Amino acid sequence: MKKTMIKGFALVAASVLGVTGLSLAPANASAANKTMVVQESNALSGLNTAVNGFNLLTNSDVLGPTGAGFTYYNNKAQLVRNTAFGTFKITKNDCGSTPSFGCFKVTYTVKKGLKYSDGTLITAQDLLLSHAISSSDYSIKAGLGDPSEGTAKFDSAGYGGAYDDHTRAESFDLSDDNFSVTVSYDAFQPDWQVFGPGPGAVHAMVGIAKGKKTFQTARTNATYKSLFEEAYYGSIATLPSQSDPDYEDELGARDDARALMKKIAAKWSTVWNITTVNSSTNPLLLISNGTFRLESCTSTGCTLVKNPNGNIGGAPKQTGNLEKMIFKFTAGTLDDTAVGQAIAAGTVDIYSGAATSSFWSVVNNASGVTAFKGNVLTYEHLDLRTGNSIFPMAPDNIKTIEGSTVNCDADYNGPFAGNSQQAKDLRKAFMLIVPRQTIANNYIGKVFDPAFSGNSPVLNSLFSLTTEGDYAKVTAGSSAYLTDLNKDQTTRVALALALVKKYYPSAAAGSDSFTVKLLTSSRPSRVANAGLMTTEAAKAGIKVEHYIRSTWSSELDCNFFDAAEFAWVKTGLSQTGTNPQYESDGGNNSAGWNDSTLDTLLGEFEKLQTATSLITTKINAEKRLWSNYYSLPMYQWPGASAWNSDLKNILPSPLAPNVTWNYWQIGY
Amino acid sequence: MAINSKKTKKAAAEVEQNSEVGKDVIQIQGLSQGQIIRKKFFAHKPAVAGLIFMILFTLFVFSASGIHLGSEKDPFTIQGWWKFAHTDTILTSDCPTGCPTWNHPMGYVPTQAKDYFALVMRGSEISLMVMVVIGSLGGLIGTVMGSVSGFFGGIIDAVMMRFTDFIITVPSILIGAVIGYRMGNLGVLPLAVFLGLFAWTGLTRLVRGEFLSLREREFVDAARVAGASNTRIIFKHILPNSVGVIIVSTTLLLSGAILTETGLSFLGFGVQYPDVSLGVLISEHQGEFIYAPWLFWWPGVIIVAIALSINFIGDGLRDAFDPRQRRQLKRKDYLAKTSTRDAVNKK
Amino acid sequence: MLAYIGRRISIALLILFGSTYLTYNLAAYSGDPLAGIRESTDPKKEAIMAELSRFYQLDVPPPARYFLWIQKIFGIGTGQIDFGLTAKRLSVLDEISAAIPTTLRLVTVATFLAIILGITFGVLSAIRQYSRLDYTLTFLSFFLFSLPIFWVAVMLKEYLVIQFNTFLEDPTINIVSNLLISAVLAVVITGFVSGTRKRVLITWGATFAILMVVLQIASLISWFRQPSLGIFGVAILGISTSVGLTHVFAGLGNKKALYAGLAATGVGVAFYYPFGQIMNASGNYALFGGLALLMLSMSYFIGYFFTKIDKGPVIRSAMLSAFFVSFFVVVDKFMQAWAPYYTLTDGKPMQTDGAYNLTLETNDFWVLNLDLITHLALPTLALTLISFAGYLRYSRASLLEVLNMDYVRTARAKGMPEREVILRHAFRNSMLPLTTLVAFDIAGIVGGAIITERVFSWRGMGSLANEAIVNQDLNLLMATFAITAFLAVMATLVADLLYSVLDPRIRIRK
Repeated sequence: MKKTMIKGFALVAASVLGVTGLSLAPANASAANKTMVVQESNALSGLNTAVNGFNLLTNSDVLGPTGAGFTYYNNKAQLVRNTAFGTFKITKNDCGSTPSFGCFKVTYTVKKGLKYSDGTLITAQDLLLSHAISSSDYSIKAGLGDPSEGTAKFDSAGYGGAYDDHTRAESFDLSDDNFSVTVSYDAFQPDWQVFGPGPGAVHAMVGIAKGKKTFQTARTNATYKSLFEEAYYGSIATLPSQSDPDYEDELGARDDARALMKKIAAKWSTVWNITTVNSSTNPLLLISNGTFRLESCTSTGCTLVKNPNGNIGGAPKQTGNLEKMIFKFTAGTLDDTAVGQAIAAGTVDIYSGAATSSFWSVVNNASGVTAFKGNVLTYEHLDLRTGNSIFPMAPDNIKTIEGSTVNCDADYNGPFAGNSQQAKDLRKAFMLIVPRQTIANNYIGKVFDPAFSGNSPVLNSLFSLTTEGDYAKVTAGSSAYLTDLNKDQTTRVALALALVKKYYPSAAAGSDSFTVKLLTSSRPSRVANAGLMTTEAAKAGIKVEHYIRSTWSSELDCNFFDAAEFAWVKTGLSQTGTNPQYESDGGNNSAGWNDSTLDTLLGEFEKLQTATSLITTKINAEKRLWSNYYSLPMYQWPGASAWNSDLKNILPSPLAPNVTWNYWQIGY
Repeated sequence: MAINSKKTKKAAAEVEQNSEVGKDVIQIQGLSQGQIIRKKFFAHKPAVAGLIFMILFTLFVFSASGIHLGSEKDPFTIQGWWKFAHTDTILTSDCPTGCPTWNHPMGYVPTQAKDYFALVMRGSEISLMVMVVIGSLGGLIGTVMGSVSGFFGGIIDAVMMRFTDFIITVPSILIGAVIGYRMGNLGVLPLAVFLGLFAWTGLTRLVRGEFLSLREREFVDAARVAGASNTRIIFKHILPNSVGVIIVSTTLLLSGAILTETGLSFLGFGVQYPDVSLGVLISEHQGEFIYAPWLFWWPGVIIVAIALSINFIGDGLRDAFDPRQRRQLKRKDYLAKTSTRDAVNKK
Repeated sequence: MLAYIGRRISIALLILFGSTYLTYNLAAYSGDPLAGIRESTDPKKEAIMAELSRFYQLDVPPPARYFLWIQKIFGIGTGQIDFGLTAKRLSVLDEISAAIPTTLRLVTVATFLAIILGITFGVLSAIRQYSRLDYTLTFLSFFLFSLPIFWVAVMLKEYLVIQFNTFLEDPTINIVSNLLISAVLAVVITGFVSGTRKRVLITWGATFAILMVVLQIASLISWFRQPSLGIFGVAILGISTSVGLTHVFAGLGNKKALYAGLAATGVGVAFYYPFGQIMNASGNYALFGGLALLMLSMSYFIGYFFTKIDKGPVIRSAMLSAFFVSFFVVVDKFMQAWAPYYTLTDGKPMQTDGAYNLTLETNDFWVLNLDLITHLALPTLALTLISFAGYLRYSRASLLEVLNMDYVRTARAKGMPEREVILRHAFRNSMLPLTTLVAFDIAGIVGGAIITERVFSWRGMGSLANEAIVNQDLNLLMATFAITAFLAVMATLVADLLYSVLDPRIRIRK
């Protein structure tokens, strides 16, 4: 009995615990490997990248390599034209002072001979769908419901925004050869390059609406294309007057067209909302024009394989030797240490996300792993309130804050109110005490290296992020206005104290001359920053009352607070993208900034700009912002990526798809 | 009580008969119940070690970080002897990587500019508090609910048990999420209280099971025939007999409470910033255990030490309280001299 | 009884209603569903927020919104049961039905292992109260009970996966580490042995020597890269297990039980080659299950025909022996699949995350299942270690209580062998309170799975619940909670009924 026990234990122990006392050696990767396993920080929510819903980033990551269009973003966040797919240019720009519909036109031309994975020719008819899912006017005029009331038949996330506001149902004109489409706007569009239409296989759409479950013949597909075109224009056709003899016929034709469009809309909104793809999936759902095609998806991952027909759909020519991509999905919330360990263990080839020291310390020390410091398009900043928020919080305006009842819609009359010299000076004083350099070091330098002792870059622009090409020029232009803010901490505190003394003659360190109510979330970094600010502010005689609110995001509009530290997450880069934050009636302006001079300067972003003139416009707006002390940028969030060192041509980008945007170049 | 004291004498006689086997046999003849319990508890070495550790550690922690009560606006604070507080921002450390130094004996967290010793002390303070609140609330409610339910049975039992079923279905992660979101700025007390209010279900069912089976036993019938009141039967007859189950479950509840808090904090639904608990510290630094191991090990080791001590104390208490565990004293000393197998065979 | 069950079920429904109502409101008040979009500078922000508000029906206050939800669930008005859509606009029903099997796979094995190991060691610990074994187990259980799972998980991943994979590249153990490992392991194993100092020292010495030799040989023949037991290994292990089990459950004096056990082991060993060939030819779960059933029923008859009187212990011995010898045969098959699996995974066979390998290209039954095992190994180990302690403590305490009861003393006094006293009288009664514990564990599955699934990146019920709370995805959240609540209510109901069936002293009151 005893011997058995010992023997048994010995075997169990030997097999399980024979792990200690090992020698470390680098991993050998197999040479034949042409598969890349990508870790995603979320799960797939479906095969549609434009349907309403949460987190479409994973969808576009997975589907990116299966499609191609007129443009893509590179790793410097620049919009690159993909000439393999087609070309586009402004064909009319004549809006002047009294813009009218059609005064601004852009023409898109698809390259001839490109084909979908099922062999069907790609034409400009395939571009029509993208308008149907982003134009509210089209939706209403085609009888597909009003998106602003939530009744649109296309359950699309494309509605809203400048494109929707400035196009009409009739905006799309198809050329006679069916390879070009001209888009008409009712005003000049500064972000016209970003707005372009993308291809959607409309023959598949019609086939699906007709209940087909297999590939159709080339002839049928051609018919389907024209059917779609007819339904698309037929739905918005203007009817003759009721007395007209053709009235009944045309009404009938319009009803038929609308019936088909409604069917298509219903299918579009639902059929791609699947997360399982296998051999029994309707092949029409998987028709694509990219280098890769979707082979299978389960709840834990998706597999993409190279298109067997080769690169025929207009994607950039493949130069890497990648044959398979596997996207692995996170279950629940991503545990980045686990991802780091998975990369070190070789079960994941690549991951890109926000930088954390735990992730970095694992991947940076693993053998055979390349670790990359990047940036994400999120930046931390401090907003100072100057007036009442333009968004009253009523009926939720009565809040209990730290035990006292507060009316958030009560008029703001704190120390920073208005644009008097005193308000400006006090705002400047408060900005001066913020130890931006220390904060940036903590969240950039020390994330990657606890022993970091240099200086991490602080963010000095409100319009350009450090990852954008024009950052250096913009900050150079406005640097004169930042001189005081970039002095060393002791000097800045002294300057701040001097400013406070102007209005509170008895001000001294710890004098609590006036109080700043600072709002933050409970995010550790912000709490720590508030602690730093409190300490530094006290030296200049300013008292900081720090309010940690879990409901902070809805309380940015609360006039009770004088200042708020939070981050803006940029979802894309466009010329007008920052205007909603600073315009007097801007949708993101919660701090009550009301500045007509600034509004005029921001209006320049709505006009056609060259790269050089855009920099001047940015500098002018920055100068106004800096001299009025509304908002203080602090630092841009760092990003981190790590990948199997055998992979070549990995160029992580701050925009999604972060690591697969150049899938055609990646290889072993 | 009559039965009990008779048993005591008999057992004491047995002990005396065997007194030649061990000098440290506990003499319990002529001692009051309280004295017997105390003696037996102090004979349990791991329990005593656990108790000493808990007392010293609690004193150490609370004196080091001081006492912080009240809200942020209106705090009541007694400063501790340690030079840094968990809220202090310290810009530099003597050791560039944040490794332990004289100034920062447990290390330094560069990304938060905090002294780790202060954080660990504060974390221990919070975790101990959460543990005590959850444990005592849960233990108290559980014992009362379980004994009432098990003893009276009938409709009272049915209603109470269904209420217990109802409470079981409310997941603690949701409580953590709600409290964190709605009352996150009121400190850690609301979280502990609400978790405690939902933590008693397991104990209730076990105590009730014990009562259900004990009340059918002969000695309860005997007491009832002798005219004892319900209160007397519960407190003098059934409760002492079920004290083993109660204590073991309460200690498991206590050590479970510290882990519940840890788990919730790991998921982000526990103690909220700027406060820290040992759980928060572990989840923050779990990734750094190879490259900054001091950040990873300290909170974990302290949690394990606290939970271990509590469990040993519980073990000692169970031995001390349980009237039927008495004979084991003799056997234990006996076994110290001869092999276990012989002892079992002889029996 | 039927009336009682009926009444309990209707009350259970009432509880479920109350519980879902409470959780719905708690969940709705635990966060801001629009928080994710508020920090965004998306030009379409307003349209998105309006759309989300419509989707979540934010204009209806939560106490009333609950009724809209439950109305859809029961299909009132539409006639169709509808659990709604998740925030990602997927069917909640599909998400849940994909998640349940994953969670079950994760939890079932661990729970079974924890119960079996916990009770076994708990009983051992109680029988040898205050022995070295008892102290070791008590310390071990308290220690395990004190470990936060994600803290352990980080270490397990580093040492059992990453470093183990590295070790496998050159699976040799040098003499110094061998000495160290053997010495430490021998100390652990000696902890289970009681007796005089001399005996302990001898045990330690013997264990140490055997470990040294075994490890050295394993290292020399690259056993860790190409492990196998072989027919002799299976036979040796099978026979010694059989003898050991007979000793525990029937006593070696019961020759018939011993021979029945050995015979069953013999049959198992004889099946070693045929089994391998059948399974290699066409391996699938049905065949596997069929063969297992065949083996167990054969052993039943072996036991049945070996004796005429007191069949119980003999059959038990035969069946247990058959089970274990089959287990060793299967283990051996998995060991043989290790080498091909090692090649298929590029030399990284142990896994830190996920439920299975997405990139594995094989149809081999053993390799595919080995893949499941290497993924299950770590979470199962972590879960078992931690819940094992609870079962150990409770079964120990419970058995100790019973062992001190008068009827046990009576049984001993009438001269019944200690084995019979424990197995027939004490053990069964002491297991009664554990039904409650098991019921509780089942009820807490999803709660416990939240952390485990997150740490090991499994997509099951727990990670769905976690994701739903973070995203304020009420439909998904409520579906997971409703299922958990249903499980909890049913588990307690079943435990109550079992309790009254198992313990005649507890009467269900009319």
